[in-house]
Amino acid sequence: MVSPTDVPQSIVLRHVSRHYHRGADEVRALDDVSLSIPAGSFVAFMGPSGSGKSTLLNLVCGIDRPTAGEVIVAGQRLDVMSEDRLARWRARHVGLIFQFFNLIPVLSARENVALPLLLVDLDRGERRRRAETALRVVGLEGRADHTPAMLSGGEQQRVAIARAIVSDPDLLIADEPTGDLDAKSAEEVLDLLRTLRRELGKTVVMVTHDPRALRFVDHAYHLDKGLLLEGHAAERARAALDLGLGREPGGGQGLGSAAP
Amino acid sequence: MTYLALVRANLRRNRLRTALTGVAVALATLLVCLLLAMPAGLDAFVSRVASNTRVSVINRAGLVYSMPYSLVRKIRGLPGVADAMAVVWYGGAYEERGKLTFPSFAVEADHFGGVYPDYHIPPAELAAFRQYRDGAIVGRATMRVYHWRIGQRVTLRSAIWPVDLDFRIVGEIPNADLGAFYISREYLDQALQAKGLPGLGIAGLIWVRVAQPEAVKSVMRMVDDLSRNSDAPTSSQTEKSFFSSFLATLKDFMTIIMAVTALVSLCIVFIAANTASLAVRERSAEIALMKALGFGRRPIFSLLLVETVLLCALSGGAGVALAVGITTALRVFAGRIPELGPLGAFYVTGPVIALGLGLALLVGVVSGLAPAWGAARRPVAETMREVF
Amino acid sequence: MALPISYPLRNLAARPGRTLLTGGVVALVVVACTLFLGLISSLKRTLVASGDPMNLVVLRKGSTNDGASQIDLDAYRSIRYLEGIAPDATGRPLISPELVVQPFFRTLDGGRENVLVRGVEPIALDVHRGVRIVQGRMIRPSSGEAVVGRAVRGRYEGALLGDTLLFGNGRWKVVGVLEADGASFESEVWVDVRELARDARRPYPYSGIRLRAASEADLVRLADRIAADPRYALEAQREIDYYEAQSESANVLYYFVVGIAILAGLGAGFGASNTLYAAVRSRTREIGTLRALGFSRGAILLAFETEAVVLALGGFALGALLSLLATAALQAWLGGVAFGSTTFTTNVVTLRVSSGDLLAVLGLASAIGLLGGLGPAWRAARMRPIEALRRA
Repeated sequence: MVSPTDVPQSIVLRHVSRHYHRGADEVRALDDVSLSIPAGSFVAFMGPSGSGKSTLLNLVCGIDRPTAGEVIVAGQRLDVMSEDRLARWRARHVGLIFQFFNLIPVLSARENVALPLLLVDLDRGERRRRAETALRVVGLEGRADHTPAMLSGGEQQRVAIARAIVSDPDLLIADEPTGDLDAKSAEEVLDLLRTLRRELGKTVVMVTHDPRALRFVDHAYHLDKGLLLEGHAAERARAALDLGLGREPGGGQGLGSAAP
Repeated sequence: MTYLALVRANLRRNRLRTALTGVAVALATLLVCLLLAMPAGLDAFVSRVASNTRVSVINRAGLVYSMPYSLVRKIRGLPGVADAMAVVWYGGAYEERGKLTFPSFAVEADHFGGVYPDYHIPPAELAAFRQYRDGAIVGRATMRVYHWRIGQRVTLRSAIWPVDLDFRIVGEIPNADLGAFYISREYLDQALQAKGLPGLGIAGLIWVRVAQPEAVKSVMRMVDDLSRNSDAPTSSQTEKSFFSSFLATLKDFMTIIMAVTALVSLCIVFIAANTASLAVRERSAEIALMKALGFGRRPIFSLLLVETVLLCALSGGAGVALAVGITTALRVFAGRIPELGPLGAFYVTGPVIALGLGLALLVGVVSGLAPAWGAARRPVAETMREVF
Repeated sequence: MALPISYPLRNLAARPGRTLLTGGVVALVVVACTLFLGLISSLKRTLVASGDPMNLVVLRKGSTNDGASQIDLDAYRSIRYLEGIAPDATGRPLISPELVVQPFFRTLDGGRENVLVRGVEPIALDVHRGVRIVQGRMIRPSSGEAVVGRAVRGRYEGALLGDTLLFGNGRWKVVGVLEADGASFESEVWVDVRELARDARRPYPYSGIRLRAASEADLVRLADRIAADPRYALEAQREIDYYEAQSESANVLYYFVVGIAILAGLGAGFGASNTLYAAVRSRTREIGTLRALGFSRGAILLAFETEAVVLALGGFALGALLSLLATAALQAWLGGVAFGSTTFTTNVVTLRVSSGDLLAVLGLASAIGLLGGLGPAWRAARMRPIEALRRA
């Protein structure tokens, strides 16, 4: 997969490996992966458990650093940054969305959304205004004072998405955003992510098992055992999803345009 | 949304635990304050009633060894001495109780006002004390215990002298810290002679008031020089150190109080540290999330530390307030029930309050430091496993 | 069916840091309370041990102690030959006229303390049965001699056998050391009563009289007769009552210490509760599983209560050990705890933790465990298995 050189690249990975030690064994979570994702695209990483997709995601959002190789996101080399610089970088450039939403139970929806704004120098009124704008974008302006326990799973995930966009990051990273949702909520969330990409020009990177996702994304990467599958291997993986061999049988039917 | 709102929300997360910790820290602070209130109360008492221009003179051999009465006249003649008064222990027991419940002293009525100007006894009452042989001046503390009034007659049986004397209370020392019963030396002297006994030729203690604070040292030296080569050499001390020397016998007890105070403080640290570590452990996923969102080590560290410090400070404040309330109540009750006497001496002074609050703050910092630092320091990739 | 005892024990071992922290709180409370209780009970023991049930203390009416009483020779003579006083082997009545004064003694570090000096006649040793000379010999009358109590020896300048003590107006040669099974006589110095009266220039020769009654009935009769004599305004009380009253000032301290123990115990109980609540919370799934397997609520309750009590008892064991070490250290460092007594004299108390003190603190520790564990154990027992499994 080669991108045209005149389109700015949001994410570039060059020969990236990530190895862990688990006891005496060395686990190759990711092995010599190179790829590049253009700005403003919506892509998915797919693959079975242990394929390395979560590791890849961690590297891309600056939570983890590679054992070898270069990670360049939004024009910055992440692999050479310190923990604290990475934290500041994340606050500016990345919005995170998780499978289990990870809202803070003791805070209201508005307060949860406003949480990342604590890292930005804004007055209280401005924080509140931005949090409400973000809630409006995800269609939850009416639930601003509800705590997570009072919201449905789909609503909670939308609050989490509002939290991800409230600081206006370049990049949205979603880890199994539909993993804990029913079919209807899942489609709504995927649609919302596509809308964000289309209307706000965000780059959206998602890790998922969900075959439905293929209808919404511009491109899907397939990983297995730490390797990026290409050519025939990728086709086979996609076909397997088609046949319903993904984790959620019956979830995905009628794939849309998978490739850009 | 502010950091403070976040701290507040977190403290409300597990209300039971916050309450248990809060109460434990408050109790411990209360204990520390009460323990320190005893020595502080005694110190405060001495500073309240002792004057720095009053000097006690006693026989160098000890309090029960007397001095010749003639000495007091010689002392009054010394330069720099405003007044001096000989005191003899009367040892009077109030008949209704039959036991010694307050100190009673036979003093020279003419010199009482001169030695104790700081007692602010109304001049008319002092004049009555001089005028009536059987007059008595009584400290307010004792007046209150027995509901005595000026003009009332009381009989005190002496355990030391073979006399039972009737007195008319002619004055009150307007100071609730003081409870001594002062009678006229002349009256006791005549009563003894009337029984065919030798009169009072002695002074057990002499109080000297020095005119100028600067002259205290030189007056003490001159006084002791008067009897240096007699058979009753004296030892002079300021009133403050005289009283303090009685308290010195409590020194070992105080040492143990301090040791126990230290132990209790350590206890609060343990309790608060335990809570802080529980709070951090229980929330590790959320802390990981905040880190993933881009909160650096410093905001995470401060957030967790402020949470512990705030809890400890508030609880410590409650503990101090409780200590003030309890000691105030004890003083009120001890004023009415003499058997509670020593418990009325507890006084939560300014320094004790500061110490209690400071301790609570310190506990918050010490106990919050390790968990907050540990949580802030863990690499985000490691903590994220608990999030994804 | 109950859970095996190893279950709560393993749980305690699973989080050693937290177990130590909570056990440490209990241990510290135990140390604090034991130290305090030990101190007060040592003080009381010292005073109470001084009384002999067959002895009477005769003082001036209204006087609360030897130090504030004066008795003249006539008064002494009036009771010297009363009937009912036990005789010694030679037929003399066992009556000891005594004079108490409190002169300054110079401490080894240059300070001064009031020490109780008791002027006696040689017969005093027969009246005070508990007192015996363990080194040297008893004083001889009019020879300027003194015997010192075990607690006084070495505490002041010259207070050693064969040395010369300087107090009052005179010089006193130390010819013996007395012991009295920890009673307050061990904090005293005994000299000849006439010499002491002369030295202190006391207008009256005695401050109090101790006498030994021949029988219980005689004791009551004697006390009545002495109090009834209108000439001398004397009163007689049992020696044990006299010292009991002396220790009343310690009673107030005792209540104070009990109050402190309760407050500290409450604090520790809350701390222990906290830990156990967290344990219950983190083991929700485990408790659900146990319930699903068929263990009853009672079994769960018992397991968590056991955990709490074991924790508290462990804390007690550690605390008791530490406090025994601490009292030994304090005793060695301070050489006994000096207390100001009501007679303005210094009472040196040997700090010793009695089994009664330890038992009381054991009760406190058990209460901390039982009550502190109750809330969490109840919460664990109340969990419904399905919910518990789901929530985890």
